[in-house]
Amino acid sequence: MPDTADILRLESLQVHFPIQGGLFDHVLGRPAGAVRAVDGIDLNIGRGEIVALVGESGSGKTTVGRVITKLAQPTGGRMLFEGRDMTSVQGSSALRPYRHRVQMIFQDAYQALNPRHTVFDVVAEPLRSLRLVGNASQLTERVSEALASAGLNPPGDFFARFPHELSGGQRQRVVIAGALAVRPGLIVADEPVSMLDVSIRAQILQVLVALRDKHNMALLFITHDLPLAWLIADKIAVLYLGKLVEIGSADDITFNPRHPYTVALRNATPQVGANAGRAELRGLQGEVPSAARVPKGCRFHPRCPLAFDRCKQEEPPAIEVGPQHMSACWLAA
Amino acid sequence: MSESTVRYSQRGGARAMKGFLRQFLSYGGAQVGLVCLVFFLVVAPIPNILVGPLQTAINATGDFLAPPSGEHLLGTDEVGRDVLNLVVHGARISLTIALLATVISLIVGTTVGITAGYYGGRVDVWLMRLTDFFFVMPSFVLALVITPVVLEVMGRGGEILGFRPSPFVILVVIGLTSWAFVARIVRSQTLSLKERTFIDRARVAGSSNFSIMVRHILPNLVPQIAANGALVVAGAIYVETSLSFLGLGDPLQPSWGTLLSLAQRAGAASAGAWWYLGAPGVCVLTVSLSFVLIGNALDDTFNPRRRVIP
Ligand SMILES: Nc1ncnc2c1ncn2[C@@H]1O[C@H](COP(=O)(O)OP(=O)(O)OP(=O)(O)O)[C@@H](O)[C@H]1O
Ligand code: SF4
Ligand SMILES: [Mg+2]
Repeated sequence: MPDTADILRLESLQVHFPIQGGLFDHVLGRPAGAVRAVDGIDLNIGRGEIVALVGESGSGKTTVGRVITKLAQPTGGRMLFEGRDMTSVQGSSALRPYRHRVQMIFQDAYQALNPRHTVFDVVAEPLRSLRLVGNASQLTERVSEALASAGLNPPGDFFARFPHELSGGQRQRVVIAGALAVRPGLIVADEPVSMLDVSIRAQILQVLVALRDKHNMALLFITHDLPLAWLIADKIAVLYLGKLVEIGSADDITFNPRHPYTVALRNATPQVGANAGRAELRGLQGEVPSAARVPKGCRFHPRCPLAFDRCKQEEPPAIEVGPQHMSACWLAA
Repeated sequence: MSESTVRYSQRGGARAMKGFLRQFLSYGGAQVGLVCLVFFLVVAPIPNILVGPLQTAINATGDFLAPPSGEHLLGTDEVGRDVLNLVVHGARISLTIALLATVISLIVGTTVGITAGYYGGRVDVWLMRLTDFFFVMPSFVLALVITPVVLEVMGRGGEILGFRPSPFVILVVIGLTSWAFVARIVRSQTLSLKERTFIDRARVAGSSNFSIMVRHILPNLVPQIAANGALVVAGAIYVETSLSFLGLGDPLQPSWGTLLSLAQRAGAASAGAWWYLGAPGVCVLTVSLSFVLIGNALDDTFNPRRRVIP
């Protein structure tokens, strides 16, 4: 596949956060170690493709999203956007063309909105700072258009509202309007509906899917909810402790999972509500290990019901188990 | 922006303002503070209309150290000047110095505090060292250092912005010593604000660091700056008084502190001339207390949670 077929490619992407060692470690010259939040992942997102990144709390989903949106700097690997290496580009002016193409939607829309900015300010901000409009009437037009696409009608009624004057669903729509106002090629959505009432979720998801259908925007949809991922995504990538354990089409991952962790995820009954990500996974023993102490060998082996000797020693590579379907498990070999 | 946008945001702003005022004025302290303050702010700009030109030993009208009477409501000083005349003229000098010094310290303190908190790292370390240096610097020492420099530059008779050298030194000294307090508060607020998700969103929206500081962080600091600004004014009035009392004042532009100093030197206390010491003293107390009351009320208005804990 040529590079430009994919809008985004992550190659061995790695984000390690250094752990501040205590005084003792310092004196004894002990290395302080690192939180291996993202530990070498390869992922491609096609143009207009919806990819779901699924994993439990602490698996590194948000960190991946923050690297893609240039809010965090990777410690290793590469990130190619439309064939260009964006790994080390930094600074708001150097990033302007990239920001124009990649936008983000946040989990908590209330936190994502400045309490002192009106809806108009919020949606106009990227248009102004990326210099995408020439004059005031053009700006008003683009803001109205974005608000309407996000389902806030009539847009003019919302211009002067402050975040506290909106409902939760409306707030998330404002955040979405801000992201789509610049007509990006890729939107990273970090658990965009997990804080919303179930009744509103479907509407917000429809808005997101419509973006792809109408404007061919690609979407990286971050969630802990596998059924939700199946509902919206073309492709699902399953993240466990900073590593992708299985990638495949939404149907394959949901109905024909090959990795024991994905199987456990599928069997888990998601609870309704914000705590769903922390729900006990049925058939899994123990807690998710800390990303600061990743187990040797297959990082899933302490909790894997099928683990055998080799799993404790050697880390399994990504193994092709079907067309466009990878699983990082020795059983697939 | 379209016409409708402008109209709408004014309406939203007016509504927020009304709610704020209702809350603010519900505090007894705020009411007392505002009434006193308005009184002094009305009096201060027009001393010549109220009590005639500033009296000197030459155009003094009364007896020496005469107690309050119908003619001299607040008595006279040791050269026969009317104390009411002096106190009203002093209001202008004292308030102008305090307010200007506060403006200086708010601008410097906010700039330093936001920059340090937002950038963190080495910028933070060095700016905070500078801040701590000014934080512990006694204003009197700084005044002693600056006075000769200012006198050298402007000469004994010169004026800067209508100030003679001594009041100007006091203004600069208060500005330089009180910004550190503001910088510390602004920095700690900035540290927590910059972790908020809306800062991330602004960055993804392509906003520069400067615009994030000015458009996202600064507006959220206004409550703290306003509340502490009032306290800085109160502090400035005290410092101005003490510096003048220690002899840094200028008899040709007498502030309340200068008057207290003159009264002290004239032996007003031992002579039983309570009016001479009392008039400027009460003024200093009233004005600084007003600002403290207003500052606390502002703080309570902006931080509703604090009200619950007495
Ligand atoms: N700035 C940071 N410094 C140190 N460690 C971090 C930092 N950000 C994240 N981590 C750690 O990296 C790991 C992955 O965090 P991340 O937020 O990406 O997980 P997540 O999958 O989004 O979880 P959740 O579902 O709870 O949002 C966690 O162990 C977290 O504690
Ligand atoms: S490699 Fe072993 S431990 Fe890891 S998932 Fe496969 S079977 Fe389980
Ligand atoms: Mg997360």
